[in-house]
Amino acid sequence: MLNIVALSKETPMDTDIFYEAGYRGSKGFSQWEVPTANATGFTAAADDHMERGIDLNEQLITNKPATFFFRMKGDAMLGAGIRPGDILIVDRSLKPTNGKIIVAIIEGELLVRRLQKTPDAVMLLAENRKLSPIRLHSFNEKDLLWGVVTYTISPV
Amino acid sequence: MYAIVDCNSFYCSCERLFRPELEHRPVIVLSNNDGCIVSRSDEAKRFGVQMAGPYFQAKPLIEKHGIATFSSNYNLYGDLSWRVMETLRSLVGSHNVEVYSVDEAFLDIDMVTPDQLQAFAVEIKDTVEKWTGIKVSVGVAPTKVLAKLANGLAKKNKAATGCVIVLDTKEKIDKALHATPVEDVWGIGRRYAHKLNQFAIHTAWDLTRIDIAWMKTHFGGVTGVRLAKELRGEVAIHMRDELVNKKMIATTRMFGQPVADLHSIKEAIATYTSRAAEKLRRQNGAANMISVFIVPKEQSHNTYFRHGPTISTYTTLPSATSITQELIKPAIKLVEQLFEEGKIYKKAGVMLSGIVPDQAIQGNLFDTKSTNKNRLLMGMIDNINFSMRDDVLKFASTGTKRDWKMRQELRSKRHTTRWEELYEVR
Repeated sequence: MLNIVALSKETPMDTDIFYEAGYRGSKGFSQWEVPTANATGFTAAADDHMERGIDLNEQLITNKPATFFFRMKGDAMLGAGIRPGDILIVDRSLKPTNGKIIVAIIEGELLVRRLQKTPDAVMLLAENRKLSPIRLHSFNEKDLLWGVVTYTISPV
Repeated sequence: MYAIVDCNSFYCSCERLFRPELEHRPVIVLSNNDGCIVSRSDEAKRFGVQMAGPYFQAKPLIEKHGIATFSSNYNLYGDLSWRVMETLRSLVGSHNVEVYSVDEAFLDIDMVTPDQLQAFAVEIKDTVEKWTGIKVSVGVAPTKVLAKLANGLAKKNKAATGCVIVLDTKEKIDKALHATPVEDVWGIGRRYAHKLNQFAIHTAWDLTRIDIAWMKTHFGGVTGVRLAKELRGEVAIHMRDELVNKKMIATTRMFGQPVADLHSIKEAIATYTSRAAEKLRRQNGAANMISVFIVPKEQSHNTYFRHGPTISTYTTLPSATSITQELIKPAIKLVEQLFEEGKIYKKAGVMLSGIVPDQAIQGNLFDTKSTNKNRLLMGMIDNINFSMRDDVLKFASTGTKRDWKMRQELRSKRHTTRWEELYEVR
């Protein structure tokens, strides 16, 4: 999580202090963009209660410049409810903590797997018995992590 | 203090983001139309691939070393550029970021305490790389010219510097000035560098020894003076507000293949005009003047890259407008005047100038009928094209075949801007 705190001259530098980077959605609009507002002043009563509809981006994206979309190809993560064709939302700014589903870079290929850290090894687990886990001695984020999966979008 | 954040081989970095197997392998990106090389990874540079060199000349080298080659994917680069800039804005506040080009930005970092500068610069670099996957270099110094110079040195010695150089003491600045050849100083072209070399000025340090009055007479007046001051650590170039509204809007392209018939050229001009009008409306402007130019292929020299003199003409519009059809009509008339039967053309362009705020928008209050309706229609067309992409709605005069369109044979997928081109991960 990011602390959203304005950085001022007095603030000591802190790696977790950022300006707001989250998706601001469609709330930043002017009167000209509201379809029923007109300059005559004679407006329908409902105009007083006019607001923008629900915007999925606000719910699904917390850090827009770091958020990317992928499409699931294969069935490696069926057990986690990710089916082929599902859309994955991936945030690169998040920490890959134990148990997270991540997009990993393995031998030049991008793979979706669950990260499991144990005292002596790091495992990338598929949620499908057909695929065996990938065992790594260490997990260097810069080389092996592409991003952390935050949501999937799937048809019902 | 100023920082400049500059992406390393930006277009190549963008291509690598979704092709991790290309990390540490040579990569190049070609210009519009696959004409020449516009971005090279360090590995490709080491193999001797020349910047701006023609693609066909580099082909043997590319094949020999298995250099991964891409056509320009501007949708991808544009999206990643926005991500890099947005990340910087969230780190230092948008009022402290000046986007200087698609892959570099100046930051005003006066809020950082002197002892934290190095850590802050590293933090900026790491955050941009983590969030966007784009590798950057950071130069920090008391002036913009020195920050650029620091950045140049950091890029030259990536391993030793970690792509970050902070010039926060007199000693460090002097050392950097000594290490920088005068032609690498921001704003000095190769021609000026040659001239300066004749006066025994070889490094940036030599340039700081010069009398400022001499700079004024011998080196481009005010520009020279500002440059000299900046090199001495005296701020002469301040943060500029982002240039939001352009004074001129131009759309020019090289044709995919040379074009000889008037009909195709008219289609191209109509398309470029629609594109330019769209940009004009995006900044809520209206143009008073439109110019059109076409570039014929040189007849005597049959090489691909040489082109003849640009032929252009312009007209003043009856009133300022941003309506596509009101711009296409005069544009087509102009190109009809320019076109010569029998010549082969390779490039064309449209430029809108004399840009003023669009009265049709302010006119909302008093509703001046017809122009408003057209402006409304334009807004609808723009919205539909923006959400559907690929110009779903267009003017008939822009044609339906478009065989003069850009050649982009090696373009990667637009993973960040198109649902149908999302990266498929296993």
